[in-house]
Amino acid sequence: MRPLIRAVVLGLVGYVAGAWLTVAVRGGSPSDDVAVTFGFILGLIGWLMGIGVWNAWAREWFGLPAKPDQATGWQRYLTFNTDHKVIGVQYLVTFITVLLLGGFMALIMRWELANPGQDFLDPDTYNKLMSMHGILMIATAVAGILGAFGNYLVPLMIGARDMAFPRVNAMSFWLIPPVAIGLLSAPLLGSFDSGWTAYPPLSVVNEGGQVLFILAVITFGLSSILGGLNIVTTVATMRAPGMSWGRLPIFVWAAFAASVLSLLITQFFAASLILILLDRAAGTTFFLAEGGGDALLYQHLFWFYSHPAVYIMVLPAFGVMLEIITHLARKPLFAYKVVVAGFWGIVGLSVAVWAHHMFTSGMAESLHAPFMALTEAISIPTGLVFLGALGTLWQGRLQSKTPLWLAFGWLFNFTIGGITGIYLADVATDIHLQDTYFVVAHFHYTIVGGTIFALIAGSYFWFPKITGRMYHERLGKIFAVWLTVGFNLVFIPLFWVGINGMNRRIADYPEFFAGPNAFASVAAYILGAGFLLYAGNLLWSARRGPAADPNPWGARTLEWQLPSPPPEHNFPLLPEVVGHPYDYGIPGSVHVAPMTPEGGEEA
Amino acid sequence: MNDSGGYKRDAIRVGLLWLALVVVLEVVWFSVEILPRQYAEEARIIDDAFNLLTILGIPVFSFVVAMLIYAALRFRSGGDASQDGPPIKTSTPVVVTWLVVTTALAVFILINPGLVGLAELRANPDADLVIEVEGQRWQWVATYPNGAEVRDELVLPVDTRIKFEVTSVDILHSFWVPGFRTKIDAVPGLTTSVYATPTELGSFAEDSALRLQCAELCGIGHARMVMPVRVVEKAEFQAWMADQLTAEAPAAEGRG
Amino acid sequence: MALSAGAAHERAEALSRPRANRLGLWLFFASETFLFAAFISARFVSSGTYKPEELNQPLALFLTVVLLGSSISAYLAETSIAHGNRQGLIRYLSITILLGLAFLVGVGFEFKEAIEYFPPETIYGSNFLALIGLHGFHVFTGVVALAVVLRLGTKGHFEPDDYWGVEGVVKYWHFVDLAWVVIFPTLYLF
Repeated sequence: MRPLIRAVVLGLVGYVAGAWLTVAVRGGSPSDDVAVTFGFILGLIGWLMGIGVWNAWAREWFGLPAKPDQATGWQRYLTFNTDHKVIGVQYLVTFITVLLLGGFMALIMRWELANPGQDFLDPDTYNKLMSMHGILMIATAVAGILGAFGNYLVPLMIGARDMAFPRVNAMSFWLIPPVAIGLLSAPLLGSFDSGWTAYPPLSVVNEGGQVLFILAVITFGLSSILGGLNIVTTVATMRAPGMSWGRLPIFVWAAFAASVLSLLITQFFAASLILILLDRAAGTTFFLAEGGGDALLYQHLFWFYSHPAVYIMVLPAFGVMLEIITHLARKPLFAYKVVVAGFWGIVGLSVAVWAHHMFTSGMAESLHAPFMALTEAISIPTGLVFLGALGTLWQGRLQSKTPLWLAFGWLFNFTIGGITGIYLADVATDIHLQDTYFVVAHFHYTIVGGTIFALIAGSYFWFPKITGRMYHERLGKIFAVWLTVGFNLVFIPLFWVGINGMNRRIADYPEFFAGPNAFASVAAYILGAGFLLYAGNLLWSARRGPAADPNPWGARTLEWQLPSPPPEHNFPLLPEVVGHPYDYGIPGSVHVAPMTPEGGEEA
Repeated sequence: MNDSGGYKRDAIRVGLLWLALVVVLEVVWFSVEILPRQYAEEARIIDDAFNLLTILGIPVFSFVVAMLIYAALRFRSGGDASQDGPPIKTSTPVVVTWLVVTTALAVFILINPGLVGLAELRANPDADLVIEVEGQRWQWVATYPNGAEVRDELVLPVDTRIKFEVTSVDILHSFWVPGFRTKIDAVPGLTTSVYATPTELGSFAEDSALRLQCAELCGIGHARMVMPVRVVEKAEFQAWMADQLTAEAPAAEGRG
Repeated sequence: MALSAGAAHERAEALSRPRANRLGLWLFFASETFLFAAFISARFVSSGTYKPEELNQPLALFLTVVLLGSSISAYLAETSIAHGNRQGLIRYLSITILLGLAFLVGVGFEFKEAIEYFPPETIYGSNFLALIGLHGFHVFTGVVALAVVLRLGTKGHFEPDDYWGVEGVVKYWHFVDLAWVVIFPTLYLF
């Protein structure tokens, strides 16, 4: 606990010092944008130094020996621990918590939206709650799978002892709590009401909470960049002998591809938010028409990140689901190389589709046709992922387990999400549907139906590996059905209201839309209640569940060949990879040579 | 049971299931009306695109669903984790067919409704009537050719190609009339434009699709940044527009 | 003959560490390139190729030369320690830091002058502030990193076969110089 207390204290001291110094130098109030900015920056440094960056790392910069904090048992999770498995669990627990928090906010919004007219949230509070829900859930989708399973599994799957930069890895995680604190304390400064997209000029002229949003999201971006850099370097340099690119587990490919994207394009989000911050705090005029600025510039910069960001969210989800499908269908991953090519096709095209978010923005009309063409083209590599999934299920020996049930729900949802995406890529239909609930339903189908389903499915599938215990299978299946059905009941009606003229981000709507909204609200509460089953099952099983076999699924990838949970530094001996990870049903095929001293690598 | 005869039987069955789903869903799609009423020529173009995408999307959706249903029913194992499925690693004909079909679909929808719809929407840059619309927090101000400034109701003549020149005085808004299916953002410092050719009479009182709704988040009053729309006969429109000029003076005072 | 677990891991670590460090640094540069690209594209999108007459061209050119010169001294610092010449390392690192500080002072002077003609309330002024600020921040962090390495060098750290700290910081310094080579024409020549 000591490092955490130290971090909180130093963080607060840093914040106060930054804000106070700013006021001392230039006057003004400690709650104005400049003071908050410097306070946040110094607070962030204080937090990081307190949690362990100083002890474990920065001391070396001053010629002192590093002396990382030692902790054992559950206290490891509260320290600057460099074990990738600890960090993976830290991410998993943090983002499941954020997911539940964001979901709770959605339930409050659905309460207000249950019937037309203003019930108990005034429009301002509604907009702020909606914005908070948005950014929390986006963060969960971006960093949930990559942070939790990317960290936990990538080194295990490639036969490495840890990530390439364990301290950078720990720092990536410990940047997350200040993000959460920054966002959740924004209401102290009037919160932010511009959605997670933070379009200017609104985000330049609204209340001071927007500054905390900007600083928190830039910090989150830094965490994503460092995390991506780590995964790319780890996969590129730390694969075990014999783990050629052609033998990488599909999740590793997915995490690698998403990390390349994350590493590069996240900078555009940071840049666009820095420009807003300058407009607010330094008097610049990037997005203000009065000084010759251009509000559309932000949208270009923002979507250059934020459209590929949906692939940062969903590529790891593809990886998780294809792992689950392959292992539980007990068949080789169908067209492995084609699926990997599909991933890279997605990465390549994803940076060239952003302006389909801007068909009604007033940008040059000459851009419409090319961006429509490129956006529709991305359906081709995405289709290859479906080919891999369906081809693997075909003729499989399906093991009826919760993760596979969720994989079926995922395929169903993501099909709907993908097809409805075409309506938004087509200029004509997008003109009508842009900024309506059709868009809301569509992206919930891709992000919840795609990514969050995979996060949840993965948390069941690797639960025995992480905890050494088994979850309750029947409750898991009940939840899988509950989640899939509940989710569809909430969002199918929202397609209809969107098509019929209900725009998004509104606290109130015409009487005409009352029926479907009431239905969606009731369904949302049913869906929300289901999560009690999820959390209850996993929390109870983590403590009291029956001990799990090290390899309950009979899976072939490396992580399953280790005890559960795997020991520190993972492998007693360097594993030697001798075959493809998914050669189910091929007699005599082996992925990893037996990890006995004889199997160890020669000198 | 893993012989090719078994595969063929599975393929035929899943094909039949797919076909049945396609037929059912297409019939359902053609027999229900989910799009709002069309009040403008542009609505027809956009709804045609919507219909075509749905007609093409149903087979894709049905294919996945048929595969899932069939897999769940037929390929379930007794639970013995040691029994592997057939070692099918890939199949070049399947991959090639898949790529050809998905590429063909993507190219098809790019041409129609994509480029065709775009061309139809942009076919005519002329307008019989130009109305300037200005968004501000949180109301719309329409300026008619005779100089009348209107805030309470957007009255439009039927069968007239109208160009809306849209701008904003403060932050982003978006001009959207669901009944017309037209939308364009109101951007400060920029004049954007959108066309609508009303084809049906009607008013907001009868159908909420006839409203000028702000569609871009703009703060507290965003949800209620609505201007009722009424489509009237041409003659009635001329009379109404003339009336607005005389009515304007007191209205302008009231604003101060 | 099998190696013991610890020995095998240490050997693997020793083999992969330099590769991992270098790759990580280059990936970081790739990422930073996107950050600069975002700011530079913002400049061209929002103010086209417009450039005010009042820009102090001779000063900017001089500062460019100063910064390029500092890259040479940084390079010499790295080759010095590679040959075991600690004195050379210290001398050239010091020169690099001084040149870096000179650059910062010069840019600050230019900025103070320029802001009179095109304040941040104009769109070119906004871009000027953002790009100069972004690059200046990088130069500043580079100077700090050089100072840390210099201090470690004076205390006897780094050997001819182990000078990753120097190599990494010097590469970063080259990257920051290269960024200026792009930003200089972006602001002053177009």
